[in-house]
Amino acid sequence: MKRISPIDIAGGIIVVAILALAPMFAASNYLTGVLTVCAIYGIWASSWDFMSGLTGRENFGHSLFIGTGAYTAGFLSSIWSASPWISLPLGVVIAIAFSLLVGFPTLRLRGPYFALAMLSASAILQRLCLIFWEYTGGEEGLYGLDPLIKNPLHYYWFVLAILAVTVIALTLLAQSHWGLLLRAIRGDEATCQAAGINVTFYKIVSLMISAGFAGLGGALYAHYQLQVSPPLFSVVVSITVIIMVYVGGIGSIYGAAVAAILLTLLTEMLRGFGEYRLWIYTLTLMLILFFLPNGLIAPLWRRMTERFR
Amino acid sequence: MTDLLEVNGVTKRFGGLTAVKNASFTLKKGEFTGILGPNGAGKTTLFNILTGFMQPTSGTIHFNGDLVRELAPYKVVNRGMARTFQLTRPFVGMNLLENVLVACMSPRASQDKDKEARASYLLAQVGLGGRDREPVETLPYGDLRRLEIARALATRPDLLLLDEPFAGLGSSEIEQLAQLIRRLHREENLTILLIEHKLREFMALVSRVIAMNFGEIIAIGPPEEIVKNEKVIEAYIGKTEDAHAPA
Repeated sequence: MKRISPIDIAGGIIVVAILALAPMFAASNYLTGVLTVCAIYGIWASSWDFMSGLTGRENFGHSLFIGTGAYTAGFLSSIWSASPWISLPLGVVIAIAFSLLVGFPTLRLRGPYFALAMLSASAILQRLCLIFWEYTGGEEGLYGLDPLIKNPLHYYWFVLAILAVTVIALTLLAQSHWGLLLRAIRGDEATCQAAGINVTFYKIVSLMISAGFAGLGGALYAHYQLQVSPPLFSVVVSITVIIMVYVGGIGSIYGAAVAAILLTLLTEMLRGFGEYRLWIYTLTLMLILFFLPNGLIAPLWRRMTERFR
Repeated sequence: MTDLLEVNGVTKRFGGLTAVKNASFTLKKGEFTGILGPNGAGKTTLFNILTGFMQPTSGTIHFNGDLVRELAPYKVVNRGMARTFQLTRPFVGMNLLENVLVACMSPRASQDKDKEARASYLLAQVGLGGRDREPVETLPYGDLRRLEIARALATRPDLLLLDEPFAGLGSSEIEQLAQLIRRLHREENLTILLIEHKLREFMALVSRVIAMNFGEIIAIGPPEEIVKNEKVIEAYIGKTEDAHAPA
C-alpha cells in the first residue's frame, strides 16, 4: 500500500498554516470571506474526487448534495429556528439520504445512467424549490440563518479545519484497501466481480461518503451566506466543482482541494477586469486542461517533491 | 466423491442463435476436466453462464448443492467458483501485489487477516515471487496469465475455471504454465475446469473431456476415448488444419 510520505505531510501543514495566517495580514474582512468560500469549495471538490475520481463514475450533479445540505441548514435555522450546530450533522444525513435515492437504482447499472440521473436530480430539486415557493422562498430562497460562529475569522478557521479533516480523512480512505477497491472498479468492473467484489456496494458507499462531505460543505456555506437560494442546485456549481478536480489532478483529493482554493481566488482577483473576467478565466482553464490533461496541482507537486520521497 | 458442480439442461439463446444447447454434465470434487471444441462451439458462453456473467435461457446449475443460477458473478465467486479470462484483464496502474490484493478483499477471503502477506504468498505460488511492486503494464502475456490465476486463488476457490490459459503463449511458456496448473490441482486439491483448443497440452493435462460442437455437448469421457470418438473427430480433429488458426 502507498503510505503518505513525510514531504506530503509537511506540504499540507505549510499550506494550511499559510491559509490560516493569510487573513491576519489583510486590512479588511474581505479576504477572510473569500477564503471561507475557497475552503468550502475545497470540501466540495475533494468530496467529488473521492467518489468520481477514484471509481471513474462521473457525478454531474454534486450540487444535489451541496444544495440539500444547504437547504437543510436553511429550513432548520431560518424556519424552525433550530441551533445552527444541528444543521451540520443533519445536512450530512439528508445529503446521504439523497445519495441513496439516486445511487441505489443507478449505480448498479453500467453506462451513463448514474451521471445523467445525478444531473437530472439536481435540476429537479432546483425546479422544486421554485414550484414550492411558499415553503422554500422561491427565487429569493431562505433568509436570516443564524451564524455558527459570529466572528468571521474564527468561522473561517473552523471551515479551514473541517477542510483539513475532510482531505485527511478522504486521503487515508483512498490509500486504504478500500481506496484500492475503488480504483479497481475504475479499472475494470468485470474483473472486480471475478475477484468476488460486490462492485455496486462499494460504489454506493463511496457515493454516500462523498455526499456526506458535500452536504456538510453545503451547510457550512449556508451558515456563511446566512441565506440559501435555488442556484445552489445549479449545473454551474456541479461543473465548477468538476473543473476544479480536473485542474487539481483527478483521484488525488488534495489536488482537488488546492485547485478549488486557487480557482476561487482567481475568480475573485479577476473581478477588477469586469466583463473580461470570464474570458480570462475560461481561457486559463482551457489552456490548463488542453496542455495538462492529468491536471496541474497534483502532478506538479509530485514532480517538485520527487527527490524527497 | 460427491458432485461439486451439476449442470442440468442449460441453454443459451442470442436471438435466433443457440450458443449453448441443453448442456448437462457434472464435476466431481478434485476432478480435472477440460472442455474441448472448435471456435464458436459455445465454450466461453458456457463459462460465462456458470460464473454468473450471463444468465441461461433455461436450465439449472447447482454448485456445492446450492442453486447458483441468477446469482451475481461476485456471489458465485464467494460460493467458491473462481475464473480467469481468456483475454487477461489486469488492473492497469496498479502493481502485481495490488492486483491480487483486490481479490483478497472478497468476503470469501475474510479468513486471511494479513491481506498483503496472503497476496505476496499467492504471487510466489504462481511463480511471480519477489515482484510484488512491479507495475502490471510491463508483464509479458504468460505472466499475466499467472497473475490471473493468483487473483482467482485469492478467493479460495473449490472450483477453478480457466478460459484458454495457453492462448497466445509460446511452447516453453505453455509447458511452465501447465506445470503450475498441474501442481495446483495436485497440491491444493482444486477441482479444475479448463477450456482449451490446443489439443496436445489439453489431452496431457485433463483426466476427463467434455467435447462441444455448435453449442452441444457431443461426448464426455476420458481423453483416450474422446480422441477415438467419431463425432469428435468429425467436428474437431478432422478440421485440425483450420483449428490452428489464432485463438
